[in-house]
Amino acid sequence: MTQTTAQLKSRAQDEASRFPALLARAEQLAGTVLLGEHGRRRAGLGDDFWQYRPMRAGDSLRWVDWRRSAKGDDQFIREREWQVAQSVQLWVDPGASMRFSSQKDLPTKADRAQLIALAAAVLLIRGGERVGLTGWDLPPRRGEAQVLRLAEMLSREDTTDYAEPEARGMLPHARSLFISDFMSDIAPIEAALTKAADRGVRGVLVQVLDPSEEAFPFQGRTIFESVGKSLAHETLKAGELRDRYLQRLAERKDRLETLCRLTGWQFYCHHTDHSAQSALLWLYRALDGGHG
Amino acid sequence: MTLFGVLGFTTPMLLVSLLALPILWVILRAVPPAPVRRLFPGVVLLLGLKDDDQVTDRTPWWLLLLRMLAVAAVIVGLAGPILNPEPKQEAAGDAPLLVVMDASWASASDWRARMRALDGLLAKAGRDERPVALLRLSNPEPVQFSSADVLRSRLSGIQPEPWQPGSTTATQAIAALPEDDFDSYWMSDGLDRESRNGLLRLLENKGDVQVFENPRALYALGPATLADGALNLTLHRLRPGPEVEVSLVGHGTDPAGNPAVLFQAPVTFAENALTTETKQALPAEMRARITRFEIAGTRSAGAVTLPDDSLRRREVALIAGREGREGLQLLDPLHYLVKALAPTADLLNGSLSEVLLANPDVIVLVDVATLAPGEEAAVLEWLDKGGLLLRFAGPRLAASDVSRSTEDPLMPVRLRAGGRTVGGAMSWGEPKTLAPFDEDSPFAGLNTSDEITVNSQVMAQPDPALAERVIAQLSDGTPLVTRKLVGQGQVVLVHVTANAEWSTLPLSGLFVQMLERLAISSSAGAVEAEAMDGTTWQPISVLDAFGVLRDGETLPGVDGVDLVDEELNTELRPGLYQGENRSLARNVIAADTELALMIWPDHIAVEGLSRPQETPLGGWLLGGAIALLLADVIASLALSGRLVGARAAAGLILVLALPVESRAQGPDDQLAIAATSEVVFAHVLTGDAKLDQLAGAAMRGLSDTLFFRTSVEPALPMAVNLEEDELAFFPFIYWPISPDQAIPSDAAYAKLNEYLRSGGMILFDTRDADIAGFGTATPNGRKLQALAARLDIPPLEPIPEDHVLTRTFYLLQDFPGRYTGRDVWVEAAPPDAELVEGMPFRNLNDNVTPVVIGGNDWASAWAVDQTGSPLVPLGRSFTGERQREIANRFGVNLVMHVLTGNYKSDQVHVPALLDRLGQ
Repeated sequence: MTQTTAQLKSRAQDEASRFPALLARAEQLAGTVLLGEHGRRRAGLGDDFWQYRPMRAGDSLRWVDWRRSAKGDDQFIREREWQVAQSVQLWVDPGASMRFSSQKDLPTKADRAQLIALAAAVLLIRGGERVGLTGWDLPPRRGEAQVLRLAEMLSREDTTDYAEPEARGMLPHARSLFISDFMSDIAPIEAALTKAADRGVRGVLVQVLDPSEEAFPFQGRTIFESVGKSLAHETLKAGELRDRYLQRLAERKDRLETLCRLTGWQFYCHHTDHSAQSALLWLYRALDGGHG
Repeated sequence: MTLFGVLGFTTPMLLVSLLALPILWVILRAVPPAPVRRLFPGVVLLLGLKDDDQVTDRTPWWLLLLRMLAVAAVIVGLAGPILNPEPKQEAAGDAPLLVVMDASWASASDWRARMRALDGLLAKAGRDERPVALLRLSNPEPVQFSSADVLRSRLSGIQPEPWQPGSTTATQAIAALPEDDFDSYWMSDGLDRESRNGLLRLLENKGDVQVFENPRALYALGPATLADGALNLTLHRLRPGPEVEVSLVGHGTDPAGNPAVLFQAPVTFAENALTTETKQALPAEMRARITRFEIAGTRSAGAVTLPDDSLRRREVALIAGREGREGLQLLDPLHYLVKALAPTADLLNGSLSEVLLANPDVIVLVDVATLAPGEEAAVLEWLDKGGLLLRFAGPRLAASDVSRSTEDPLMPVRLRAGGRTVGGAMSWGEPKTLAPFDEDSPFAGLNTSDEITVNSQVMAQPDPALAERVIAQLSDGTPLVTRKLVGQGQVVLVHVTANAEWSTLPLSGLFVQMLERLAISSSAGAVEAEAMDGTTWQPISVLDAFGVLRDGETLPGVDGVDLVDEELNTELRPGLYQGENRSLARNVIAADTELALMIWPDHIAVEGLSRPQETPLGGWLLGGAIALLLADVIASLALSGRLVGARAAAGLILVLALPVESRAQGPDDQLAIAATSEVVFAHVLTGDAKLDQLAGAAMRGLSDTLFFRTSVEPALPMAVNLEEDELAFFPFIYWPISPDQAIPSDAAYAKLNEYLRSGGMILFDTRDADIAGFGTATPNGRKLQALAARLDIPPLEPIPEDHVLTRTFYLLQDFPGRYTGRDVWVEAAPPDAELVEGMPFRNLNDNVTPVVIGGNDWASAWAVDQTGSPLVPLGRSFTGERQREIANRFGVNLVMHVLTGNYKSDQVHVPALLDRLGQ
């Protein structure tokens, strides 16, 4: 990538700054006990004051709020609101197939995917969520520093042509965001999604496609090669292949959507010639869920 | 060279390689176009897809055909194809070749083509090593065979002659022929003539005869004749053909003497017509200036005809000493002259002084004895310039003393008193007859008849000079006609009367011929040979075969009879000949000439000049091959799907090439929008950068002041360039005067005047405090005068105390700027403005004054910097600040005046209005 980490971060922040703080949906707060800023409207562990209550048996003396208790004879305990944070785990396809753009003035798919992912991450972190990557490299954390780390990790590139989704190290009941062109073999994707669904992880699939992949505007005798040159296909009349290619692409999309429906995920297809903001807006809606 | 019909090849063996084309077809067909390599991540989805049509890995047939055609074109092109190749002379004999050329005027128009053909013929004869000779029938010379190359080197010197081969030249030609056998090549001009057949028979006896003839249209122009005041011209053409229009041109001199085309007229040959006639009605004066007629675009002497004096009608003034008696026409002294001259000359009547003004060619004085001294001098002057004075004797002349003792300048001889009468009732002797004319007389060659008798005559006094002055005499030797040269003109005296009283001469045809010889009348018809007898004519200019006039002064003179009768030859060239008193043209085409087409016997091969040219086709074929290959490139690109970019580029070029109609908003529009969306003040750019800056700051300061104090909220001021910017957007323009300023252009003045008339205001500021008052003393003042001279400025006056400017916002009586001069000039109040009783102010003009002129340097007082503090110090401490304040107030008043007009003036009426409302 020619882009430096700082540039990526600044551009992502630029994208993120156009949105109000994104509060991820937190249905399954019970499972994750990590602190966050989603008030549960009940007493628990947290930073914000919830209520004073008379000290009951079994309460530790350490919990007594002595300032309040000194006003009267009873001893009060200061309860705080139970707050939890959502964990969001990202996976951005690092494969070589993402580093493709059909025209000079279009960004590569990888570029767009990283930008969307990081923008979402910035929004989430600003909303108090914890954002990390799937796998073991970068577990979800909060704070601005995490944006930097994310940006750094996202910039890593893989040499394989078509990377498989990383479904390891997923926290139960966390949210997840997979961004890829999903051109690779469908089985690992299926496995990853199934595994995630098993652990109660729900999330979003964003398919990033180049316009040429959607339109297939080729004619004549052509040898098509993957970016990593591991695959090649020769045809004498590229134009004749168009219909069948588009059919296969539609099938692939359909398959992904079906998969998402089954696992409770959401699917979105984004093209690099569209604005990144449209994708981010959709992501905002998707991650914000019914709270919109 | 191999011939295939009209197509020949220089290297036909190369055509064998055309056989390789089918093999090439097979090879090319098997090779599909090279693939494009593309990165495409979606290749995963493509894996396993098969191409439907397995045939498409072959090159498509039409592309193959294209390539085949290209290759075939290259092969054929290299084989050197030639369209209409020169056929090889079959079995060219090695007998000597005689080239017989008519070389007449009729060959001149295509002479160059003939020479080219002859050159080719000679070249071929040179290759065949045949001896060649040339015989020009129009000017035959003894035939001598030589090598073709020698003749070729002389080719450029061979020219046609401006006549046709005649009977004499035919004889000469036959005599010039050699004894031995030879083949002949006759370059004919296509005209039939009697001499041809004999020569042709002779040539056929000697060997083969081949005839070369150009089937082109040949035009000829007959001589011009004059009838009923119009020029008649006959045009001929040799071959009948479709309807065609040729252009007839008359060349001559314009009145200043420069060569000019005097008329040009289209003449149409009807279909299959061989001749056509045209009438050209031209003024006599213009007709006289024409030097040649020709058919435009034909280089031939036959297409040129030269006019001579026969086209001129001479102006002859007839003056009689006594009036004819009514009813006695035959006794009228002028009767026979009028009869003789009227058909061919323009006759003038009137007094001598009147006709002299018309500058006639001839003045005939019939029995006029003396002239008034003034008239005599005028006639002498006219004679000096070439006039011909013809006098006839009569009773008056005989009775007078004119030229009695001394020779009268207007008489050729001295006269004896009384004259003589012979053969009458009261006298002895027989009436006298005319003696034959002398050789050197102008009448030489005219037949004298015995029927002409002379009864009375005036007698010439014997003088030493008499003998040479006599040009006609009676049988007894008494002079009948005498002549004297005066300057360039001459005086001729006929010693008898102009009527039949004294002699029968006027009754005879000789009288008319004599008048003709004297060039008093000119014959319109054909010149009679006998009338030409004994005359010699000098060629002035002669025609060559191409119809070009050459100088003929060096050629020998021609006998008059020959000139009329003889056919044209080396001695008698067509051209313009000058006789004693008149000119005669001998043209190639005479009035009775008919063009007849030569019909050759059937067994004679006639070759045309317009054979299709030999055209090499190799270049075209190779060029076509390149074009085909270019098409192949495009087609191949299209086929392999690589044309998309090219197509896009082509489209882009097309789009760029289209005229861009929707122009972006230009700077003018931006200026207009900026200037009109808010109130904007402007200052005129003077070219003095410092002054312009100050003026800009002043306008900013004024705008700020207005913004703070009034409801006028101007935007940032602008600087206007009088030449370029539109002024109409600005309600108020400040114009500081600098002596170095350029005077605006006319267009700028037009704009300024339009601005002033349509309600704008300009504040002129000389910035010199007007120290001299009304001053033109300062450079600025003078400059203002120069600038304002062309402005439409109404009468001015110093601001009166009740001017509306003094109260539009602030009440002011002083208008200081940096200086506190008093004189500020505005448009003068109308003279009828009066102070009404009870009103504080006069009811002044309704309009805003278009100009305010002063010299107080308001710019310095108003100018502020970016932070709003004054730029220029003013006065001292408080007084200075007070002065600046008043200056600002003046600015406010000024702008208010501009924007509200006479609103404050109308306030005068408020009391009256209130009163009327009953309050």
